Amino acid sequence: MNLNGTYTFNGPRSKVWDLLQDPEILAKALPGTERLARTGNDRYEGVMKVSVGPVTAAKFDIVVLLGDKVEPERFTMQIDGKGAVGYTKGSASIALADHGDGTEMTYSSSVQVGGKIAAVGQRLLESVGRMMMKQALEALQRELKARLQTGA
Amino acid sequence: VPAPTRYLNARVLRNEDARLLTGRAPFVDDVQLPGMLHVAFVRSEYAHARLTNVDVSAARQRPGVVAVYTAADLGDYDTPAPLLVPPPPIKDLAFNPCTHRALVTDKVRYVGEPIAMIVAESRYIAEDAIRDVIVEVEPLDAVVDLEAALQNASVRVHEQLPSNVAAHVVQGKGDYAAARARADVIVTRRFLYDRGASAAIENRAIVASWDPQAEELTIWDTTQAPIPIRNGLAARLGLSPAQVRVVAPFVGGGFGPKIMMFYPEEMILPWASIRLARPIKWTEDRQENFYATTQERGQVHEAEMALTRDGKILGVRDHFLFDTGAYDPYGLTIPINTQCTLLGPYDIANYDSQFTAVFTNKPIVTPVRGAGRQHGVFVSERLLDLAAKELGIDRVDIRKRNLIGPDRFPVNHEIMFQDSAPLIYDSGNYLPTLERAAEMIGFDDFPVEQAAGRAGGTHVGIGICCYVEGTGIGPYEGARVTVEPSGSIRVATGVGTQGQGHYTVFAQIVADVLGVEVTAVKVTTGDTREFGWGTGTFASRGAVVAGNACHAAATSVRLKILSLAASLLNVSQDVLELADGRVFVRDSPERAFTLAELAGRANPLRGAVRPGTEPGLESTAYFGPDRGSTASGVHAIKVDVDPETAMVKILRYVVVHDCGTIINPLLVEGQIHGGVAHGIGNAFYEQLVYDEQGQLLNASFMDYLLPTATDVPPIETDHRETPSPFNPVGLKGVGEAGCIPTGAVFAQALEDALSDYGIEITEIPMSPNALFDLISAAAKPVPRAPEPPSPESRS
Repeated sequence: MNLNGTYTFNGPRSKVWDLLQDPEILAKALPGTERLARTGNDRYEGVMKVSVGPVTAAKFDIVVLLGDKVEPERFTMQIDGKGAVGYTKGSASIALADHGDGTEMTYSSSVQVGGKIAAVGQRLLESVGRMMMKQALEALQRELKARLQTGA
Repeated sequence: VPAPTRYLNARVLRNEDARLLTGRAPFVDDVQLPGMLHVAFVRSEYAHARLTNVDVSAARQRPGVVAVYTAADLGDYDTPAPLLVPPPPIKDLAFNPCTHRALVTDKVRYVGEPIAMIVAESRYIAEDAIRDVIVEVEPLDAVVDLEAALQNASVRVHEQLPSNVAAHVVQGKGDYAAARARADVIVTRRFLYDRGASAAIENRAIVASWDPQAEELTIWDTTQAPIPIRNGLAARLGLSPAQVRVVAPFVGGGFGPKIMMFYPEEMILPWASIRLARPIKWTEDRQENFYATTQERGQVHEAEMALTRDGKILGVRDHFLFDTGAYDPYGLTIPINTQCTLLGPYDIANYDSQFTAVFTNKPIVTPVRGAGRQHGVFVSERLLDLAAKELGIDRVDIRKRNLIGPDRFPVNHEIMFQDSAPLIYDSGNYLPTLERAAEMIGFDDFPVEQAAGRAGGTHVGIGICCYVEGTGIGPYEGARVTVEPSGSIRVATGVGTQGQGHYTVFAQIVADVLGVEVTAVKVTTGDTREFGWGTGTFASRGAVVAGNACHAAATSVRLKILSLAASLLNVSQDVLELADGRVFVRDSPERAFTLAELAGRANPLRGAVRPGTEPGLESTAYFGPDRGSTASGVHAIKVDVDPETAMVKILRYVVVHDCGTIINPLLVEGQIHGGVAHGIGNAFYEQLVYDEQGQLLNASFMDYLLPTATDVPPIETDHRETPSPFNPVGLKGVGEAGCIPTGAVFAQALEDALSDYGIEITEIPMSPNALFDLISAAAKPVPRAPEPPSPESRS
């Protein structure tokens, strides 16, 4: 499964960059994230719950590795998830560019899944992926707005 | 001494139905034993990966878990499964046997391959403990596509081999190249057939129970082959076969995958039961069934047919790839069936057939109902259709011009069949079957109906295809027939029963020989304690081989009855008759014994049993045919296709079938109905979809579509009977016939219905989506008046 797209944040690039590197914010923004903590330099670990079709609230232990960081322009993510219903392996690259007063994010990602979640959820995986991405981006936008308002 | 026929070829209701319909028939999952433990398997999530570590320590700590086993715990017991069917003696045949083990040792080769077994006080605990097990792997690229598997030898399912080739076999006859050189027309195409699940209503299940005091192991197993399972497990476990009893009770559908042996679960549950001295049960769940039970049907054919301009087949060349999955314990039965069945009922003098079996990172492939036969039929029937179009010959007519005539039998095809014997057709009469099917579907009048429909905006088409089915192969089956003290008859045979109606057909055969009511004959199948010699239910052979064994045993008992009665009544045997459970003097019926009285006399409490005789009225007999008998038939279908949605409605389905002497028309029709439903699923709905990493993407009945009652039309059947000269009762098998030509006849009918789009169907399944794509890609139909049928092109 591949998820690619662009999204415009209503705020400056440096603020968007900070947001994307903050595990607490990401944990709030990513649907189903129960926990996400920095466990090393550019390494995050946590637990995520995902529902795909008949697989409801499946828990995944996730490890996220950030790499190729060029602040505040681009970075890559490696995401490995393991749970009772299978595994996920994903990679994503994210680029930020000024866009008027805002920031345009360009992302491309590919995700591989295996085990039960592939067997029964594949048909629905892409639409669930898009939905989660949309919800996450909107949550980040709200967070950005809040930060800009409070001047954080 | 021929007995008068009463039950043979009668529409006798099934003896087993009362038990089945009232829920009293025992299945493996019904077995409940005191102290029984339950099993769940940790299975691979990867199709291809090196197994680096399996940590089961946390699972072992979980309360309620009794034991957790990995390959490392098996010790000497960790040996590969046997090669079940060694390849036939074919010149220059290359075969690389690679069989599976009970649990993965070095690397996983398909998603679902078992890595660890958890034994717990309940299935719930065992399932929970699966997530306590930490499996560490190094993922490898997966071998999924057959052609890519051969092109890229750097990724190999079995690294000890130089490539992914499991086997290469060349068979043929005549001189195809010479035939091709003198042909007027050559039709060449590529054909695809994809994988499906057998989807029996009952999944696999095993209960193993070791009795440490009696030192006896009892195994209840959904197998189609209880006796070989007993023999093989006894050998693996170092026990005498007498210490092992395997019971295959009622089984909810076999369709081939349950003949596979030994499944990993079958190897390891009995071993663990002995080790733990507790009964252990495992019942496969539906999702496991999509991985852990064998599958079939992936083949890619490059085929051509050479013909004269008047439609006579000069020869066929067919080179194909066969997906054998991750291992090949079942040898080459399927592709050899394909090779042999392609010849069909046709006179094909020159044949060049080759196949390459390919290892892939997908579940193991073993026969599923039809077992490669449908591929051969699909190729030859499609090529005939294409040739007919090219030559402007009517579809039925081109077939008639090529049928083997009734005076030509036995026909020796000079190639080797799956039973390691030459492919010889015993008997057949193909033309009347084809004519009858054409008549039933209304072939001659159809163009008028089709044209009228087309004018009214509907797209109706028909298809009509021929096939043969090699059935009833050896080596042998046996049966014991006993007249019990009550006068009822007991029959025991080794074949397992999976819904075929064995309790009825064997009873019919025996009832006729002994002159008793069919309901007075009690049949036991599939319990090695009742009968310990035999092979199993496969290749549409149960009725043919075990049926003839029942006939032989009953005939021997009949002779004992006549001999004893003659001496007691002081008459010659010729004047005696058996009827209504009695033996009597024909001209003075009051001089008689009931079979109950005679059974008592044959087993006296005083006196002596004379030398050269045996006590009781009981006989055991065997039947082992040198070669199988070849059934045949014709399927015809009428479909209504909506070109906008690509949905297909099957309006009519006709089967005219010849399985030799019919034991019970009701059951023959039942087998055909079930087979056609299976075939419709294969043709239009069922496809196991794997991604490029070997992940199965539709492992549930939400996504894997089976035909339902609304998709399967009423099936109209008619029978022809050309008895087999190769067995005393004249039987031929019928278990697989219904699903063999279904794909071919479906494809022909779709092309006929959509003739104004000019589409060509070369792959099965032809799902609504695939058909939609074909229609979309085709040129828009040009409105035109349909051509009237040309009378001279039809004979």
